[in-house]
Amino acid sequence: MLKALLQRFGQTVFVLFGISVLVFLVFFATPGADPTSRIAGKNASPETIAKVRQEYGFDRPLPVQYTTMMKKLFITQDLTSYANRGEKVVPELIKAAPVTLSLATGGAVIWVVASILMGTVAAAFRGTWIDRTLMAVGLVGISIPVFWLGQVANLITQARYHDTWLFSWVPALGYVPFAESPVGWFKALIIPWCTLAVLFIGVYARVLRSDLVTVSGEDFMRTARAKGLSPTRVLLVHGLRTSMITFVSLFGMDFAQLIGGGALLTEVVFGLQGVGRLTYQALSALDLPLIMASVMYSAVFVVLANALVDVIYIFLDPRVRDGR
Amino acid sequence: MFSVLALWLALAGSPLHATIVAPGAPDSPETGGILRITAENSGGTLDPQISYVHITYQMEAIVYDGLTTFAKTPSKLSSHAIPDLAEALPEPQDGGRTYVFHLRHGIHFSNGKEVTPDDVVASMQRIFKVNSPTAGPYYSHIVGGEACLKDTEHCTLKGGVEADDRAWTVTFHLTHPDAEFFDRLAFQHASILPADTPAHDTGNEAPLGTGPYRIVSYEPNSGLKMERNPYFRQWDAVAQPAGYPDEIHYSFGLDPEAAVTAIENNQYDWMLESVPLDRQAEVGARFSDRVKLIEQLVIYYAALNVNLPPFNDLRVRQALNYALNRKAVVIYNGGPAVSTAACQMLPTGAPGYEPGCAYTKGASPEHPAPEWKEPDLALAKKLVEESGTKGQKVVIVTPGSGGSGAIANEIRATLVDLGYVASVRPITPVIEFSYIQNSDNKVQIGLTGWSADYPSASSFLRTLFSCATFIPHSSNSINASQFCDPKLDALMDRAAEVSLTDQKAGDALWAEASRALMAQAPALPLDQTRRVALTSTRVHGEYDTPIYEAVFSQMKLRRAGDAP
Repeated sequence: MLKALLQRFGQTVFVLFGISVLVFLVFFATPGADPTSRIAGKNASPETIAKVRQEYGFDRPLPVQYTTMMKKLFITQDLTSYANRGEKVVPELIKAAPVTLSLATGGAVIWVVASILMGTVAAAFRGTWIDRTLMAVGLVGISIPVFWLGQVANLITQARYHDTWLFSWVPALGYVPFAESPVGWFKALIIPWCTLAVLFIGVYARVLRSDLVTVSGEDFMRTARAKGLSPTRVLLVHGLRTSMITFVSLFGMDFAQLIGGGALLTEVVFGLQGVGRLTYQALSALDLPLIMASVMYSAVFVVLANALVDVIYIFLDPRVRDGR
Repeated sequence: MFSVLALWLALAGSPLHATIVAPGAPDSPETGGILRITAENSGGTLDPQISYVHITYQMEAIVYDGLTTFAKTPSKLSSHAIPDLAEALPEPQDGGRTYVFHLRHGIHFSNGKEVTPDDVVASMQRIFKVNSPTAGPYYSHIVGGEACLKDTEHCTLKGGVEADDRAWTVTFHLTHPDAEFFDRLAFQHASILPADTPAHDTGNEAPLGTGPYRIVSYEPNSGLKMERNPYFRQWDAVAQPAGYPDEIHYSFGLDPEAAVTAIENNQYDWMLESVPLDRQAEVGARFSDRVKLIEQLVIYYAALNVNLPPFNDLRVRQALNYALNRKAVVIYNGGPAVSTAACQMLPTGAPGYEPGCAYTKGASPEHPAPEWKEPDLALAKKLVEESGTKGQKVVIVTPGSGGSGAIANEIRATLVDLGYVASVRPITPVIEFSYIQNSDNKVQIGLTGWSADYPSASSFLRTLFSCATFIPHSSNSINASQFCDPKLDALMDRAAEVSLTDQKAGDALWAEASRALMAQAPALPLDQTRRVALTSTRVHGEYDTPIYEAVFSQMKLRRAGDAP
């Protein structure tokens, strides 16, 4: 067990190191990316430029700069932005995390519930018009780009029909902290949640349906039916549990990626100041410290989620447990 | 008891607001409320001596004061500096090298401490200690300034800035006369801060100021809040008028499209960005009473690198200036209501600006037309033919967003018409300016815009086209055209010198310098634009000034029930 944990930790460190070196080198290889003149300001005198270069360590060799940046990011946590002098990136990320967590969690609840319902009903009514309709609806959801759907949702709820009884409750775009107003938090997030969930509902429902159909022919399902269990019980207790393996592993990856800033487009469209929007901002400003911090943050979540999914497997599939 | 008092007040006809007005607030029925502003992104550091972006300049105008300032009362007042913390603009002594400022008495920082001459001296030193972007170009001619630039930590400005606590004065000694000295002191980097303000970038913590508002919280990723400075008492209604709203809340995160919708819905009162082009027709048709066109001292242009072929040939630079259809540029930037074709590098409204277009049909540098009319393709083709540069490759570097791409393509098409093999290279807007001002990047044409820190001809002509601002092998060579003409430099020096004593004659010389520059055509002036501002139904009254565009303290808010 300890060996496995150490192995996992080693993998995490290796992945993080690789990503950080890559991001760092790509930044310095980008033409015009030298941040000195941007930090010093337009028309700054050569003396000021030299001072800034020295203060930020841009006159040092790249490996030294890289090491200093990593130290500031992980140890002293006082890494400051290149675009916003004085902005410390680690506290910024920590402040942005609850927004992303709220968005991803709410969206996940909707897509998990809806996709399990859709996938199970479609499998139960396999080959009928219900199955075909549900899967077609899911496909439409998958095909709609989230930024387009978000803009349309905004157009309807914020612009065209905002003053009608239907959407007059919709608040201005942006985030309301839960602690400030739970109702405001819910109102501000309900449309982003639904928008974010649409794509995933389609994907997950189709995956679940296909797994349910596949397992229905397995021996243990036949045994369950032979024991005289009702078709519903067979489907939900025996079939669904086993079919949830792919579902859960997919969910682990997707959820971790969203927490790590993957809901970037949704955050940008709805003006939510989460990790994704911070990443977007960092990329548009070519702000290396912020890019580095958000990429590292995202990578940590993806690696951790992988580990967590492995653990959940054990609970879901007795065969994995027996194989220990 | 309360109802009896209220009844008595009503019967007496006494205005209720008079009893609740906050300290330092105007005694007016329009006082109070929370002004809600939105912007796509925050502006980074709040340190007024370092921050160098429009958003902070505008916010901090009502938080900080300098010895001088620009008018903050909405009107078409002069755009020259006026006294602020100083009682009056001092008469120049010693041939314009010495200025004695009398400080006003009884002005307090937002912690209650009185502003003293020592605070002024410390603030001037701090400009150098914190590596302020303008320490070199704007303040290094204060005696001791050059030494401070080299050794920022031990900056004293000895012999340059002297405080006299008994006379309550601060004396400045300059190494040479400077016609723009009052303007430079009015720029936010010369804000007066308490002497004990840390000598480093204060980042997200705003230092104490003297204006009607103080910044109480700031999250660069979400928002900023300002409230009244309890120690503010109006000392000059033009320099720093008392503010109407009780609080100002700035939210960051909405893109301009979403911000327009939010203001239409009255969820916000004002947005930093101009209304995007695709929404201008909509807001103009539906909310014309809430739209204001604000004049800006900005010029959009393409820098032509005079050291690289084909633009090292004057005929080619002139040809491109003759051939470009500026009508198309105006359309790409929002049409004639918003954009005006530009023919010179001084925008309308800048000191020294005189109408005149050297490059349009029927005109020449010697005989300019009053304004741009239409391109002269035939003359342009003739000039290119004479230069013998036809068929050469030209790459246009442009910011990859907004109307710039379309304008770059218009220039590309013009170059193709003239016989060149032209292409466009879009670069992310945030680094495009750094890219084209890097003199090693060998940019032939770079599209950009320039907005002056304060209104002066020199901030356009000298900053962008003097020999001093072209620095070979530098990443910070603001003169992207790499233009250097000692004769023009001499003319600009003379214009600055004459402006010291005779503003009108000085302005005439700046106009001459502008014409002389365009005769050399080191740039392709494109257009000058107005800002399209949209407000909620709550905002009323005048709030725009030539320098700050919007002065938030002057935005009056209607309350629920007030007639629009």
